[in-house]
Amino acid sequence: MSAPNFRALQASNQRKTFGLLAGMAVLVTVVVYAALTYFGRGGIGIIPVAVTISLISVWGSYYSSDKLVLTMTGAKQISYDDNPKLFNLVQEVCIASGLPMPKVAIVSDTAPNAFATGRDEKHALIAFTTGILDVMDRNELQGVIAHEMAHVANRDTLVSAIAATTAGAIALLSDFIMRMMWFGGRRDNRDNNSNPLALVASILVLILAPLAALLLKSAISRKREALADATAVAFTRNPSGLRSALEVLARDTTVVHQRSTAVAHIWIESPLDGTSVSRLFATHPPIQERIATLRAMESNPE
Amino acid sequence: MSTTLIIVLAALAIIVLYTISSYNRLIRLNISVDEAFSQIEVQLKRRSDLIPNLVETVKGYAAHEKSALENVVAARAKATTATTFTDVAAADGAVTQALRGLLAVSEAYPDLKASANFLSLQEELSTTENKVSFARQFYNENVRSLNQAVKTFPSSLFTSLARVAAREFYIVDDPQNRQAPNVKF
Repeated sequence: MSAPNFRALQASNQRKTFGLLAGMAVLVTVVVYAALTYFGRGGIGIIPVAVTISLISVWGSYYSSDKLVLTMTGAKQISYDDNPKLFNLVQEVCIASGLPMPKVAIVSDTAPNAFATGRDEKHALIAFTTGILDVMDRNELQGVIAHEMAHVANRDTLVSAIAATTAGAIALLSDFIMRMMWFGGRRDNRDNNSNPLALVASILVLILAPLAALLLKSAISRKREALADATAVAFTRNPSGLRSALEVLARDTTVVHQRSTAVAHIWIESPLDGTSVSRLFATHPPIQERIATLRAMESNPE
Repeated sequence: MSTTLIIVLAALAIIVLYTISSYNRLIRLNISVDEAFSQIEVQLKRRSDLIPNLVETVKGYAAHEKSALENVVAARAKATTATTFTDVAAADGAVTQALRGLLAVSEAYPDLKASANFLSLQEELSTTENKVSFARQFYNENVRSLNQAVKTFPSSLFTSLARVAAREFYIVDDPQNRQAPNVKF
């Protein structure tokens, strides 16, 4: 990656997201094919069931994400007079990006962090911990806000909802099929191909598919984070603000108290312990890599 | 109906639909540029409104910095009467320079910098200066998209139909402009 600028980085991360989502689609096809190989036509009925359950469970949290996350993280929505400086900064980024003003919320937590959510730009909410407001200067906060508004502009709540729905459907599907194997075995022995290799392969696919879906979902999340960094630079034209903000986060060892994996992916810095989660499953790219990319952009503004 | 006729009709329908969408896109881009310009004007007005208060505050502590104070007042007066695009941009540049000069001389007056009035103005001034600069950047970004559509084929075919032409970038004559979003007082 020689001399990256924000436009090239935005384009490449968009492309990679698309590729990963296509990978998800291929995975779904493979799982369905494996199910059909094992069960014959009889197994087909469970596919819409799995997709529907997954859709319902994810769609609710997607649609009301701005309200749901408030309760899950304990964030309190604030108005201009509560923190004029923060509101001014958010307004600045709104002018730079052309986005409407989001709702602003504060999480009472000493660990510096921030997140954005909401199903579209009109229902966007960005939240900051009291810790991040204390440790960061104007310039750094502007970078963080630009990163969060970039998530709003890139519709990342939607992207992660799609990824979660697909991964959820695959997990449910493989779970259903496993249970059916325990209880019923193969339903339709007559017109089934009884090639033992194909059967072993389909069982392997069903065991491995949820893992693969989870890996794809994490990879999508990492690409969206990298994209948000590039888009943030497109807004502020000032990579050094976000870079120095990330350096503050990298130096800081405290983490946000709630360690629920359910909302881990929405924070600017992962609240989960870096050592316990392997790199492949991480929702964020390594912070040093993000800092290095931003530093490269500083020397190559356009 | 012969196959040829169907093909001709289908081709015509595609051309008509394409013309409509290109026309609408050009109009939309042109409107975005207008909206972005009014955002610049809103922010310039905000800055203009802050200046009298700032000038009074500085006068209280550094009355003999006459030239710096007069520069700001004169630049502001010029900016409030500017109407054409080029005048607005030129006046904006003059105010930006004059304000920077005034804030530079204020550095030498610790009493001024510590005064309650100046401190409360400080946040207002930094955010307004950033907003002005981001509004300019957003405007130029919109002009960039419009000009790209106006000058590239095939959208360039529809410019006379939509009566949309390439627009000028908003350029402020200011050597420090590249660093403008990071104003520190």
